[in-house]
Parts: sequence; structure tokens; C-alpha cells
Amino acid sequence: MHGRVKIKTTAQQEEEKRKEREKKLKIYVAARDACFSKRNEGIWDDEALQLTQQLLSSNPDFATLWNYRREILMHLETVKDKDEVQKIYEAELSFTESCLKVNPKSYGSWHHRGWVSARLPRPDWARELTLCDRCLSLDDRNFHCWDYRRMVVKMSGVPVDQELAFTDRLIGSNFSNYSSWHYRSTLLPLLHPESPEPPSPCREPPQSSPPPSPQTHSHRVCEEQLLKEYELVQNAFFTDPNDQSAWFYYRWLLGRAEREEMISCVYVNRDEERVAVAFSRPVNAQSVGLFLVLDGQPQRVEWRSVHPRFKQSPVWICNLPPGTISDITNERNLTVHWTEKHTHRDCALYTGRTESWCRDSATDQELFRSELSVEKTSVLQSELQSVKQLQELEPLNKLDSMRSAYYSDLCSKFMIENTILKMEYAEVRVFSISDKNLTTLCHLDQLLLVTHINLSSNHLQRLPPQFAMLQCLEVLEADNNAIENLEGVYHLPKLEEVLLKNNKISTLADLQTLASCPKLKRLDLRGNPVTQTANVESELAELLPSVTDLLL
Amino acid sequence: MCVEFQGTQVKDVIIKPDAPSTLLLEKHADYIAAYGSKKDDYEYTLSEYLRMSGIYWGLTVMDLMGELPRMNQQEIVDFIKACQHECGGISASIGHDPHLLYTLSAVQILCLYDSVDAIDVDKVVEYVKGLQQEDGSFAGDKWGEIDTRFSFCAVATLALLGKMDTINVDKAVEFVLSCMNFDGGFGCRPGSESHAGQIYCCTGFLSLTGQLHQLNADLLGWWLCERQLPSGGLNGRPEKLPDVCYSWWVLASLKIIGRIRWIDKDKLRKFILACQDEETGGFADRPGDMVDPFHTLFGVAGLSLLGDEQIKPVNPVLCMPEDVLQRIGLQPDLLTVLDLPPQCVQHEIFPVLPSNEMAFQTASSSLCALFSSYRIKFLSVLC
Repeated sequence: MHGRVKIKTTAQQEEEKRKEREKKLKIYVAARDACFSKRNEGIWDDEALQLTQQLLSSNPDFATLWNYRREILMHLETVKDKDEVQKIYEAELSFTESCLKVNPKSYGSWHHRGWVSARLPRPDWARELTLCDRCLSLDDRNFHCWDYRRMVVKMSGVPVDQELAFTDRLIGSNFSNYSSWHYRSTLLPLLHPESPEPPSPCREPPQSSPPPSPQTHSHRVCEEQLLKEYELVQNAFFTDPNDQSAWFYYRWLLGRAEREEMISCVYVNRDEERVAVAFSRPVNAQSVGLFLVLDGQPQRVEWRSVHPRFKQSPVWICNLPPGTISDITNERNLTVHWTEKHTHRDCALYTGRTESWCRDSATDQELFRSELSVEKTSVLQSELQSVKQLQELEPLNKLDSMRSAYYSDLCSKFMIENTILKMEYAEVRVFSISDKNLTTLCHLDQLLLVTHINLSSNHLQRLPPQFAMLQCLEVLEADNNAIENLEGVYHLPKLEEVLLKNNKISTLADLQTLASCPKLKRLDLRGNPVTQTANVESELAELLPSVTDLLL
Repeated sequence: MCVEFQGTQVKDVIIKPDAPSTLLLEKHADYIAAYGSKKDDYEYTLSEYLRMSGIYWGLTVMDLMGELPRMNQQEIVDFIKACQHECGGISASIGHDPHLLYTLSAVQILCLYDSVDAIDVDKVVEYVKGLQQEDGSFAGDKWGEIDTRFSFCAVATLALLGKMDTINVDKAVEFVLSCMNFDGGFGCRPGSESHAGQIYCCTGFLSLTGQLHQLNADLLGWWLCERQLPSGGLNGRPEKLPDVCYSWWVLASLKIIGRIRWIDKDKLRKFILACQDEETGGFADRPGDMVDPFHTLFGVAGLSLLGDEQIKPVNPVLCMPEDVLQRIGLQPDLLTVLDLPPQCVQHEIFPVLPSNEMAFQTASSSLCALFSSYRIKFLSVLC
């Protein structure tokens, strides 16, 4: 179905082709029907093997025939002696090899070969490895072959360092070697784990059961080896700048460590008797054993996500029974337990204070940066130097205009990260990114404590449901964007001012969510299409009765 | 079609100036309607081993084009009935053995026709459940081939039948996540290389099981958007030729993870349209090649995801018309949608460059992703 070129032919050529195909079809159908009728009669004989062989040679994807063959072989196992069975299965290996020569990408052929190899009385794994070497020398991107090789390696205990050396050879000789880099990424953490006592890695084959978590982080590899990998990768992209593989691998090497699982923030407010909890990753609070203890007494509360669209959210909120913490003359001590992860966080609510919080900041958690060794730092410093030079030449969105949106969003993410860190350093609760070509919002879970946000003069199109994580927000400034969706401005209990001048709010329905914010007083909708709606003023008065200062 | 090799340059095709540039829906409908009647055709017969999926591709694309009534519902439903085996599983065709792939296709077809009760649903569920392994993975059939494609087939089948709670979902999720690679993508089995088809299956799986938050959407989104080649077409993994079916696997994955706008939509649309055959109708894998129903569905479905209003909206997780899923009441999760292009693309893009040590450390590891992309482009321009 792939790669079949359409060739123009004459009427006569068409007719000749048609006749030939008709003949081929007849032969094929006869063999297929013969096969099926034999199978229906429960016949497992040599002729059946021959018929299936004939058909599978030209159509190895005809899975049912491989099934039939396996039934026949399994039957033969019961009636032949061990040596005969060995011969039969070796012949089967030859047959699959000839199928693979014709079509090296047939799932059926590879699976059958694997099935045969596992059943051979005396398997020859060295032979299987040689087959893989040959197949990969013809096409080192054939993932069927790579997967088969991994199976052979596992079954026969080929040492990891030997496989690593294999990838070295392949990477050194051919540009199209993404598969080799990928394999490396799975071998390195086994051979050079970051833990202080590495297991005896050389003779240990890859694990026999799937690893418990994704192998996505280079920080599973010890630093010494990582630095060697940087060198290897840099050689690769200087040798062949157009090979993409090394760049994907490089990104992995420079990636961030896995975050520790924890409760990153507990916030409590006497006015709404509300508790907000931020986690280091999205969770479903209803199923992770989350519970609240107040002055040593467990509290029965109902946790809810900040927005109904999130069953898995980094921020969850609950309300304490009325009167529980409203008396400002009492000090209260709150603890939130995340029993599933055996962790908790305390938060003291002091006398005379309306609100309180306890958190590990993004800085503390090394969310956006990590402590880097001198060696790593120097690698990254030189990268930065190159880029400073490159930046003088041409902007990225011209060099690679197809991915402009990706670069804008990536840039927006970095700006948001930098702004969060600056805000934490300054110990303020004001977040401001204005006139910076922001195209997307992210890390909103880090803005739980923010009271004022200024996003004006950017390119935002929506305030997504995650925006509801800004549980302390009082003022929202987002003039001069392209906002048409306010889904995330949802049940923000302290929100008083929403400034949306010159956006793309077009219908009253778009403003529906604002009705969930009980303290909303001031709303600026000038320069939005919605202001042209009939009776907009009276409609809004009905929809948002708390708003006293409306600008249209 | 022209495949260009410029030394070690990127493999790609060149779209000829006379390639089709408008959507020829009527021709495609005629092509598919006639395809089923080609019972004495060599290729048709040879592809009998996947017939159930072939029917699903044909019917789905007809429905997306509003032409489903042209197909023979009764004949197809009867065919499906005849393909359900005693074990509950469904085969590709009569006389063939049951398999998860064709069980899913059959259930999808019956959903299109609102005729799920034509088969023994409980038996189907039992068949699917019986294929789950101890490590959470799914075999395709009793012969034991393990592949994340089958994890997707299993949960999609059960989701359509409303019976997901019959399997061990947590274990199934654990297995799929164990197939996540260094680049954020997924392969067939743990340790397998990332491939757009497998990524589609795994993101679809994670959507159906409510676990999309386990993905690294930015990392995977980058890998996916780097599938777009200068011709505008998408390939399935690095250094491969573009293929119209990846307009589905890649695009749907991006839609599921909320990053569809990281693709240049106009260029992709142009590539997909160029894959049409003006003479016969249908889409081929690339411009100038032979057409088939598989690529026809994915070309049309891709165009639907890109927003073509002449085509019904398609669901990116199940590759079925949205109205069918609404009728069933199935709305799989999608990550926050970033699917409209920014208003302004001409502005200078450059990161806020750090001016001191601390700020440098702050941005270093994340900025390198940007720098790396930058360097590829710079170096390829130099060469």
C-alpha cells in the first residue's frame, strides 16, 4: 500500500496486465481455498505446509496462515522426536528468512520467527544475532529487526556494554541512525546508572520485565558518562549537521530531572474558609488519600478540582465547615496529608492573619533550573556563546517558519519561568508579562498565590481552564490580546477587577463564567465585538449583578 | 512524484505545480463506493486478511463526506456477524482467525451504523479481557504478539461498548507508560523506537484512560511537529519520506495533546491535496503514487482536523465522525487546546537572554531545546 508509483500505460499494456493479474489471481484463490478447506477438515500435513508456504511467500501479512502453520508445527512436535523437530524448526527459520528477504517489514514474519526461536529444542541465538546484523546493515532503521534483536539479547544474555559498542559502530558509520541513538538511550541507564553503587552492569542483560517507569530522563545516567555523551553527540552533529537524530538525543541529555512528588503549597484563607493545595504534578485528589487535619482533628471535607474539566489537577480546593477558622483571634494549625506518597505539609494560620500559606517555591524545588556541575555549566556556556553569534544573523521564525508557533510557545514558556523566578526572588505576589509576544500560558500551578496578574499587549487567545488555579487573584489585566475564551476565570473568590480592553470576546455566552466570581466589581470590555450586541448593558447587568463599574 | 536526495539532505518529495490543489470529494466518494465491488481484483483479494479494517476505512471516509447511505449496510452487518468467532473475537474476513485489530474495526463499523447489538457484545468483552497479560499489555490474539497498538485496540473497543471497567486499566496504563522513550514518544514494546503510528495509539490510549497528564506534551509535541518536511507533508519518524497517513497519525496526536498549531497547516493541506488522484479519485501515500482506501480515509480525516468545512468533524482519538461519538456519549479527554494559529507570526522571536550567572543557570537546560533547533537550521543553511 505504500510506495507504489502510478505508471501510465497504453490500452494494450493495460489489457496484458489485466490478463496476467487474472491468471495470478486464479492461482492464488485456488491455493487459498485449498488451504482453508484443509484447515476446516482439521488436516495438519505436509501439503498444508506447502500451500501455506506458497501463499505466505508472496503475502506474509496473511496472518491466519501463519496461525495454521503454527498449529501444524505444534502437532508435529507431538508426533516427531526431538531431532526431527529441531530440523523442522530450522527449516522454518529458513523459510521465515526467505520471507523476510522479500519483505523485511512484515509483522507476521518476525513474530513467527520469534515464536519458532522460542520453541526450538536447541536455539541458536548467535545465528539470530547474525541475522539481525545482516538485516540492520541493509536498513538500520528497521524497527522490526531492532525489536527482534532486543528479544534475542534478552533471551541469550548478551552483555549491555557489547550492545552499546554495537551502537557506537552504527552511529560512526551511517547518518540515518536515530534507531541507534534511541537504543543507546535505553542502554546507558543500565550500564551507567546515577546511583552511587552501580550493579555489576557488564553481564547484566536488559531487565526481563518492563521497567516500572518511563526511561525519559538523562538524570538516570551518571554525570561522567553524560559528559562523554555530550562529546559524542557534538561530534555527530559536526560530522553531519543534517542528521536530526543527534539533536533529539542532545535535548534528552540536557533535560531536567524528575520532580520529587510532594505537596508544594498549602494555602488557607479565613474569609472563604477555604484551603487550596498544590501538588508537584496533576493528581486526582479523590483517589490518592488526601486528608486534612486541623489542630490534630481530622476534618471531613470534599475536595474539588479548580475546574470541572480537570479530573487530574495540580491544584485542589476544599471548604471547611462554616465557623471552623473564621475567628481571627484563634491560631490554627493545619496539616494536609498525601497518604499515597507518605508525605504531608503543615500550615500555621496565625492570630490576626486572614490568610496563610506554606510552600516550596519554584526556586526551592529547582523546577526551572537545577544545580549544574562545573563541567555541565561549561558545556552550556559554549552553547550560549554560539547562539549569541547566531542571533545576529537571522531570526528563528524565518529560518524555520513552519514551526513559528512552536518557537513562540517555547519562548513564552521561558519568559513565564523567568518571571516566576523573579517574582519569587522579589517576594511579591504580582505577576507581569506585558508586551512580550506571549502566545501561550503555562505553569499556572505556580501562580496559586498571585493577587495581581498583568498579561496585557500579548497574543493570547484564551484563558484556559487551568487559569482557575489562580485562587488568590484580585486583579486580572489582559488588555490588547486576542482573547475570545474566558473558561479559566472560574470561581475565583477574590477577583474584583477584570480588564479586557481590545480583545475578541464576541458573545454574552463567552462572559458566562465571570458570573461565578462573586466579588467582581469592575469589568472593562471596550473594544470587544460583544459590545455591539443588542441590549448588552442590560444583559450584563443581569448576568453580572455584582459589577458596578462597567466599561463598554 | 519526485523524491529528492541532495547528498545527506532531508528526504522529501517535491510537489509539482500541476498537482491537485482543490478537494475532489465527489471523486473520492465514487472511488470508495466502487471499491467494494472489485471482488475479482488481485489487490483486493490479497488484502482479504485486513478486510474488516478496509471496510472501516471506506465507511468512515464516506460518513465524513456525508455519503454513508451509498454503502450496503445490511450486507456489511451480516458480514460482521459471520466474522464473530466462538471465543467472541472478530476476524478480518470469513474463514480468517479473530484478532483485536479487526474486533475494533468491526465495533467501529457497528457504531457508525448504530447496530452494536448485531454481535454478542459480552463475548467481545470477554475476548478483549482475555488478551490482557500480567504486565498489563495486550496480545493481539492467542498467539501472543504484544504491541501498544493492541493496548489501544482493547481500550477503544471497550470504550465504544462502555465496558472499560472490565480490564485492569491501571496495569494497562503502567505498561503503555513503560514504552515511553527518551524523546517523549512511544514504540511497540518497552525499548522500541518512537513511531508516529504507535504514538497515536498510545496518546489515544492515554486519552481514553484519562491519563494524558502523564505525557510530556511539550517534548512529544516537538518531536511530532518536527515530522513536517519542507514539502509540507509529515513523515512517521526522523529521516523518512512524508506519507499522507501521517497527516492522521501525527496530526491527531498533536490534537490530542493540544499542540496542533505547531504544524504549518497551510503547507500540510497543500501536501494532502496533492496526494489526490484527479483521474481515479482517492488519495495515495504521496503525490503520483497509487491510491487506496487507507490513505483516502487518512487524507480526508487529516483535512477535517485542519478545519475543512466540507468534511464532518472527526474525533482525533477514535478516527470516527464526532456526531457518532456524541450519539454514543463518548467524549475522550484532550489536553488544553492550542489549535488556532497566533494572529501575528512576523514578530522577532528570541528568548530573553540571561545577563548574569543565576539567570543563565535558570534558563540553561530548557533554552537548549530552542538553541538546538536553531542550530539545526543554521547549520543546514550553511551547508
